[in-house]
Amino acid sequence: MTAANAVRQVFGFFFFLGRRTGKTRVFAILGLMPVALAVIVRIVLHGRSGPMAAVFTEILMVFFLQFYIVILALFYGTSVTAEEVENRTLCYLVTRPLPKPAIVLGKVAACALLMFGMVAVSLTLSYFIMNATRLSEPDLYLTFLRYLGVLGLGILAYTAFFTFLGAVLKRAIIVGLVFGFGWENVIQYFPGSTQKFSIVHYLKSLLPYRPMSGGGRGVALLLFRLEPTRPLTAVLMLTVITAAFLALACWIFRMKEYLYEE
Amino acid sequence: MTAVITASNLSKWYGNVLGLNDVSLEIEEGITGLLGPNGAGKSTFMKLITGQMKPNIGRVTVRGRKVWNNPEVFQGIGFCPEQDVFYEDVTGWEFLLGLLRFYGYALSEVRERAARALDVVDLTADKDRLIRGYSRGMRQRIKFAQAIAHDPGILILDEPLSGLDPLGKRKLIKLIKDFKRQGRTVLVSSHVLPEIEALTSRVVLVHQGKILAQGDIPYIRELIEAHPHQISVRSSDPRALAARFVGDRSIQKMTFAADGQTLVVETHKRDEFFGRLTGVVLEAGIEVEEISSPDDNLQAVFEYLVGK
Repeated sequence: MTAANAVRQVFGFFFFLGRRTGKTRVFAILGLMPVALAVIVRIVLHGRSGPMAAVFTEILMVFFLQFYIVILALFYGTSVTAEEVENRTLCYLVTRPLPKPAIVLGKVAACALLMFGMVAVSLTLSYFIMNATRLSEPDLYLTFLRYLGVLGLGILAYTAFFTFLGAVLKRAIIVGLVFGFGWENVIQYFPGSTQKFSIVHYLKSLLPYRPMSGGGRGVALLLFRLEPTRPLTAVLMLTVITAAFLALACWIFRMKEYLYEE
Repeated sequence: MTAVITASNLSKWYGNVLGLNDVSLEIEEGITGLLGPNGAGKSTFMKLITGQMKPNIGRVTVRGRKVWNNPEVFQGIGFCPEQDVFYEDVTGWEFLLGLLRFYGYALSEVRERAARALDVVDLTADKDRLIRGYSRGMRQRIKFAQAIAHDPGILILDEPLSGLDPLGKRKLIKLIKDFKRQGRTVLVSSHVLPEIEALTSRVVLVHQGKILAQGDIPYIRELIEAHPHQISVRSSDPRALAARFVGDRSIQKMTFAADGQTLVVETHKRDEFFGRLTGVVLEAGIEVEEISSPDDNLQAVFEYLVGK
């Protein structure tokens, strides 16, 4: 069996499996939160549209970018290898004619697609509910696609990083929480190039920058002290982060011996 | 006969705990039983030969090929783990389909093989039930099915009979023997001698990470027979009973338990002792409340062999 075919088979099995787990149900429900918020905002903003709706859309993006995709990637990414070890099901995978990197890549691909599906449904509903009065504006759709693309890249980068953590550490979720909600949140408010040591910096650099009507800066919550990297560089950096951490995770999974706790 | 699985000077430790100590073993075609008490190192050995762990020292090969990080070798190996673990949210059918896809078969062949394996373990009627809802015996059988579904030449079964009812055990023993008849290699572990005895006459005794003895069942039985058995007899008058046995040559040692009612006898000739006991009890009119053999188990045999 070729490596690509092995990845495909692992992907197929775990994508199928992933759709049934309680974890997926919980996170799918969590994804309804911004949809509920969008409905509430629509009711409050009844009759008004334009800038206010756009502002709230950006607030929604904070939820997606700094919470939803991070928590999704944390739980799915760290579980790629750790779940197999904790549930002792690893023996069903490593005693098959599958190269170990194919197991990691196939599972990551399955998790990433599941997460992207949840994020896409949640973003689509909340975004278009929020901007229901602007559906005739072509810009609305372009911005939506850009948001979706940024979240997709974010899912890949975070999942790769957390998969790496899961392959290396026994209690990866704790370190992951500190990274995802500590480091990533704090460092972006540092001026200068320090913020470039976070994934979220590159994601935010790809967001559309929209000055407020008064000529001020964009939404402070989202862009506070952001010194954006050029979009092409940001995409490149996110790609490098994803590839590097996936390669590391595969290498560690291949070399490391996972022992079950008695 | 050429060795199918070869372990050379295999050692494995978990931190300070020794799992396996300088084990060299050649496993040939047919059924080989790996016998030892819990924690003896059987599962460690099986994990090493199935590439789930790498040895700290030594080398394992299957048909001359290394196992660790060599996925091709698993095309011909079926492994049934000891632990009762599964992807619980799938049905038996989906479980087998998913795992069979890992061998690169076309979907039609995957279905065909899964159906055949389910049929072999008598789970066809329950194939669409979630594994979560399977009974212990059914779970054991689906675990066996995933090990044989790809038709492997080598079958490695870690405690496959545990949790099965007598009928289930008999069926599985028959299946394993059928495997042997097809010229395949089976390595099966157990801590219960009669289970291994029912499967094969070729046994490897493992204890505290070492191979204690290997040979056929009669040889192992001989070792067990050489082991002095302890027999406790709880009666109305243990001292009168002891007096009757003092001159008996089959008795090596007699003591009285703390309760004052139990005579503990140590003998090499258990059957002979039981034969005499019936007569003595009837003759003297002693009322026997309980007869037990506290060390009539594998652990005691191992302890005896280690001590020897």
